[in-house]
Amino acid sequence: MQETPINVQRGDAIERPVLSPRVDILESETEIVLCADLPGADEDAVRLSIERDTMLLEAATRLPAAEGEPLAVEFGDVLYRRAFLIPKTVDPDGISAELRNGVLRVRMPKNAQPRARRIEVQAIQ
Amino acid sequence: MVSPITERTLFGLGGLGRRMAHLFEEADAGATPFGSWTRLNAWDAGPNLVIRAEVPGLSERDIQLTIRQDVLTLSGERNVDPPEGYSAHRRERASTRFSRSVRLGVRVDADKAVAIVKNGILSVTLPKSAEQPPRQIPVKAAS
Repeated sequence: MQETPINVQRGDAIERPVLSPRVDILESETEIVLCADLPGADEDAVRLSIERDTMLLEAATRLPAAEGEPLAVEFGDVLYRRAFLIPKTVDPDGISAELRNGVLRVRMPKNAQPRARRIEVQAIQ
Repeated sequence: MVSPITERTLFGLGGLGRRMAHLFEEADAGATPFGSWTRLNAWDAGPNLVIRAEVPGLSERDIQLTIRQDVLTLSGERNVDPPEGYSAHRRERASTRFSRSVRLGVRVDADKAVAIVKNGILSVTLPKSAEQPPRQIPVKAAS
C-alpha cells in the first residue's frame, strides 16, 4: 500500500506523546464499524494503512496555537497510533473512512459469502 | 474509565498548575476527573480569556456554554450507543452527559463571547469586562 506522510505543520521537531485512541468496534450483518476519538486531528493528518491483515491508524493533532499566559493545560498535541487486526470476513478493498467532529469512522464491509475454495484432489497415477 | 494519559507524561506542569490554582479553579464540587470529559486548556491572552476543550464527536448543537458571574459552565451530551442492528465488540468511548464549571477569576463580557468547534476541539474567546473603577464608601461616625 502506498504511504502518504502525515502532514504536520508544526511540532515535527517536538517529541510528542503517542496515544492509543479510544475506539468502539461495532458489527452488523453487513459491516464492521470502527469509531475512534481523535480530537484535534485534521483530515489530512490521519493515515490509515493496511498491510496483510493489520490496519494501522495514525493521526497527528494540530491544535490551535497557545495564546498568552497559560492558566490550565490538560491536553496538548499528540500522535494517535493504534493497530487493529482485520477479520477475514472483511473485504479490504471496500474499507472507507470519514472524519467528522474529531471522530474517525471506518466502515469495513463484510464479504457476502466467505470465499470458499475448493481444492481438487488429483489421483496419483 | 481511567485514561492512559496522565498530566505528568503530557506536560509535567504540576508546579504551574498549583501556582495557577487560585486563579482558575474548579467551581463545582463534583468536578470531572482529569482524563475524562472534558479536558480544558485556558490562557490569559490580555484582553481575552481563551479556553479550549476536547469534545470529540460533538457539533455546535451538542454543546451548551453558560456564564454566571465569573463561572463558565461547559455542558453537553454525547450519545455513541450502537445503532439498531449493531452489536458492540469493544466500547471504550463514553456515552456521557457532562458538565464542567471553572471559575475564571475575572468578569467577562458574555455578550461578546465567541465559541467555535472544529475537529472535536471547542475554542471559546471571552473578552474581559472593563475594569470597574474603585468606589469610595463613606464611613460615618455613629452618633
